[in-house]
Order: sequence, then C-alpha cells, then structure tokens
Amino acid sequence: MSTLTKMPQQGLISTLRGDRAKRLGPWALGLVALLAALGLQGQLYSGQERTVATIFMFVALAQAWNLIGGFAGYASFGQVVFFGVGGYFTAVAMSHWHFSFWMSLLLSGFVAALFAVIIGIPLLRLKGHYFAIATLGVAEGMREVVTNLTDLTGGGAGITVPTVGNNATTAYLGNDGFYLLFLGLAVLSVIVGGLVARNKFGYALRAINQDEDAAAALGINTTRMKVLTFALSGFITGLVGASYAFQQVTIFPERLFDVDITVLMIIMVVIGGSGTVLGPLLGAVALQFLSEFLRQNFTNLHTFILGAIIIVAVVLLPQGAVNYMREARRTKEFSLLANVRKYRL
Amino acid sequence: MSAVPVLETRGLGRRFGGLQAVSDVSFSVPAGQVLGVIGPNGAGKSTFINLVTGHTKPSEGRVLIDGKDLTGARPWVIAQAGVARTFQIVKPFRGMSVRENVAVGILYGSNGTNVMSKALKAAEEVLEEVGMAGLGDRPPGELSVADARRLEFAKALALRPRLLLLDEVMAGLRHTEIEPSLELIRKLKARGITIIVVEHVMKAILAVSDQVLVLHQGKVLTSGDPRDVLSDPRVIEAYLGHRYVKRREGES
Repeated sequence: MSTLTKMPQQGLISTLRGDRAKRLGPWALGLVALLAALGLQGQLYSGQERTVATIFMFVALAQAWNLIGGFAGYASFGQVVFFGVGGYFTAVAMSHWHFSFWMSLLLSGFVAALFAVIIGIPLLRLKGHYFAIATLGVAEGMREVVTNLTDLTGGGAGITVPTVGNNATTAYLGNDGFYLLFLGLAVLSVIVGGLVARNKFGYALRAINQDEDAAAALGINTTRMKVLTFALSGFITGLVGASYAFQQVTIFPERLFDVDITVLMIIMVVIGGSGTVLGPLLGAVALQFLSEFLRQNFTNLHTFILGAIIIVAVVLLPQGAVNYMREARRTKEFSLLANVRKYRL
Repeated sequence: MSAVPVLETRGLGRRFGGLQAVSDVSFSVPAGQVLGVIGPNGAGKSTFINLVTGHTKPSEGRVLIDGKDLTGARPWVIAQAGVARTFQIVKPFRGMSVRENVAVGILYGSNGTNVMSKALKAAEEVLEEVGMAGLGDRPPGELSVADARRLEFAKALALRPRLLLLDEVMAGLRHTEIEPSLELIRKLKARGITIIVVEHVMKAILAVSDQVLVLHQGKVLTSGDPRDVLSDPRVIEAYLGHRYVKRREGES
C-alpha cells in the first residue's frame, strides 16, 4: 500500500529533475547560436551581412506574431500595422522632432504597444476569421491614414530620415551596426518567447487558445491576458519597424504597411510550428535563407519554386515542423501521410 | 444565528431574444450542503450554472456569493471568489498534458502560485484525489470518456473552491464508473465544500443530495427533500408528460 502511493511521487520527482535539464538546455543552445551569429559577422561581405540581418529581422517579427497568433491563437492578419506605426514614428520623430534614433526606437515600441491596446480592446472580442479580417482592415486603413497625413509623413512621396549633415541626430549605423541591431532584436524576441512559453503567462495563453470559457472558469482574466499579449507583440514589431525605417533611410506607406510582411510572418510561424519558440526561429531562418538561395540560383523561377515548397510544407506538416517532430517522437509515428490524415477536418 | 449562505440567488432570470431560458429563480444553499438540480432537457439547468458563474449575464435578479453581490461579474472574478465549475461538454486544453491542465487552475486560483514546479506538484495531488494518479503525462485527447470527465472535475478542484458546480459530470458514464464520482462528491462534502450537482442520473442525485431543486421551463417547479421531490406528481409530469400521470392516477 505504502509503496503504491509513493510510486507516482517518485515518478514526479524524476520528471521535475528532467525538467531542469529541459529548462536550461535551450538557453545554452541559444547562447551558442548567438556566439555563432557574432562570429559569422566577420566572415561575411557587406551584401551577405545585409541578407543575414534581414533573416534576424524576420526572426524577431515571426516571434512577435507567434505571441498573439501562436500562443494565444488570435491570428492577426494586420500585424504589419505595428511595423508601420513603429517605422513611421521613428522617421517622424527623427526628422521633425530631432530625436536621437535610440530614443525614437524605444518610443516606437511603446507607441506600437499603445496602438495595440487601443485596437486590441475592441478587436480581441472577435474570434477566428472575424479577428483576422478586422486586423487586416486596421492595417489597410492605417496605410491610408499615413498616406494622407502629408505634412507629417510626406504622404506617398515618402519620408527621409536625416542621416548626414547637421540634421542627423544619430550617425547611420551601417551594415555592421544594423547586423548587430537586428541580431539584438532577434535575441530579445526569442528570450521573450522563451520566457512566455515556460511561465504562468504562457499557460494562460495556451488555455485561452484552446478554450476561452474554460480558461476564464479557472480564474484567468482572458481580456487582460489577450490585450497584454497583443501589446507585447506590437511592442516588438514596433521596434523592428523602427529599426527597418532607419536602415532604409527613406520609407513609403506601401512598403511599411505591406500586407506581404504580415503574410511572411504567418508563413514562417506556421511552417516552423506555432505556439513554440523554436518554430518561428527555424521558420524564419529557413524561409528567408531558402528565398535568398532561390533568388540567386533561379532568378526567374524563384517565387514559383518558393511558393511550391511552402504549399508542400503546409500540406504535409499542417502543425509545423517543430510540433510534428515532438508528436512523432512521442508516438513513434513518423509517416507524413499519417500526419496529413490526423489533421484533416 | 443562521450563517450567510454560500450561494443565494434572488429572482434570477435570463432572456435570449424571445426565449425566457431562466426566470425568477430564488433559493439559497447553506454552507456544506449538496444541492441537486434536476429538470428535463431545456429546463434551464446549464443556463442557471452559467448565470451563477458569470459565463452568461443575468437579465434580471441578483447572485450573492457569501453574501457578496457578484451579479454579472466576469467568470474569472467568480472563480477567484472560490466558485469552481465543470462544463457539460468537456473542455480540456489540448496541447498540454493532463497534469498541466490541472496546474493552470492552481496557477490562477484565488490562492494561486507563480512557481510552475509547485503548481505541477499540487496538480499531481489533485489528480490522485480524483483517481487519476499516473495519468498526468498523457495528452487529454487520449483519455477515456470517464477520465475526461474526471479531468474536468480535477481542473475545478485545482481552484480549491468553496462552492463547486458540477454540470453533468456523470453523463455518459457506466454504472460502475458512477460510484467513484459519488464517493468523491461525498468526500468533498465531508471536507466542507458546498456542491451543486446538475444531473440527469436520478440514482446519483438521490445518493448525494441534501436538497433537490427542480427546474422546469426555466422556473423553479419545486424544491426540498430529495425523496419528497422525486415523488411529487408535478415533477413526474414534467419529466414524463401529464398523460403518464393521469394513467397512473387511474390505476391507483
């Protein structure tokens, strides 16, 4: 009798000990990846440096989308709005108000987060397709607003951040500087994702993702959690947009509010594995790397091939690579066809 | 003298468009009692639970928990006030293990913790309590019907509630599977938890209830001692139709 009651407890203690290795392992791996990224910089010529910086940028964007779309399950199809708001805030602050870049960067994050709170309070009451369409509408609408605020934003002609002469508040960072800046943002986003995934907050988001009524019945303030997550996601996306604006020097509404950027974030997260930390990271690196590889080797066909690969990946691995590997390792079922069957409606 | 009832409703009602799903329900549950709520399909039992737990806002009336007016409060406020519920249709969090499902309740309950390892350990204790020891690592999708219902039970208990509302936790179970649930209800009652059991299984209602409340077409038909209530001709009529009652009267 006594041995019987003790057994599950012993099992639990060993699981908890295993958890410690599981807990620290990914952080160690992340540190190695960071050192590798820093070491890599010296090996690249400037064009490659820019390409890799773009990969880092998309890692941060994908991680940010994953917070609201992956963990909480609110697929934001207007995520680029935070990118645009952040980018335009920095451009306006630097050129009109003569703020330094670093000050503008930080403020852009908060402005984007505030914007997320303002649109999140009404929109996060919607679910599924309704939320997706509403956020898409907000992003498209903001592009028009920014285009028409000609005095402030330069309208469709764009706005140029002063990088030389007396008006330059912060010296242009150059390829080396932007490489480090985007690497920093990628690291920040992965750390945020990692902390969310393993803590109380992440469990609340996953519960909300699965069933909001059940989550609320367990004492989770679902409204507050969703708005907070949207704000955090908007904050990171805003920082990335601000950095992008400075890197590009001249920005246009069509580019800063380009729906393609949202689509890329979503594809990266979905292919990698939504609701995981590794998924968006792998998805962003793989897709951006593949895209660049195809562009250089199949100049005419590159979008065609990339599209085909995305379709095959989404059909065979609807839950994303990381989630597929986790399930396959647990159930010892590696067949892709069985996987497709499992997820059919 | 008489203590404040754990739950009291006054003239509670809810309209959905033209349908009055619940109307004028007034009653109170003293601390430590088990109240059985019965009624035919569509009588308003689930709506009643939703009104008490904040998942549906009342159109009229008041809900008092421990004498505190919590009418129309959001579900998480009610949950943190010590009121837990189960759902008639089980709502497990897929993508989390059974243990993590229960841990969520411990993390966000009124005397919750922020430490994951503590919550997981406490979750294991709750699982043992409901007879699910050893199932903690499973994904909820692999559970049997009985265990999936038990998981609902465990998630509610994770809040360490003072009032527990069970919405048909025994529906679809075999007779042999019902007994452990009844045993658990008795055990929780002995610990001083006030329980409201919404159930179709009459045997279960009779076995555990101190009082029974009968809902019919959204209204309280009658309430009182379980045996008296179940032999009330009006209750039999509500369930089986007036022709059945007439025939029986003719026979006797």
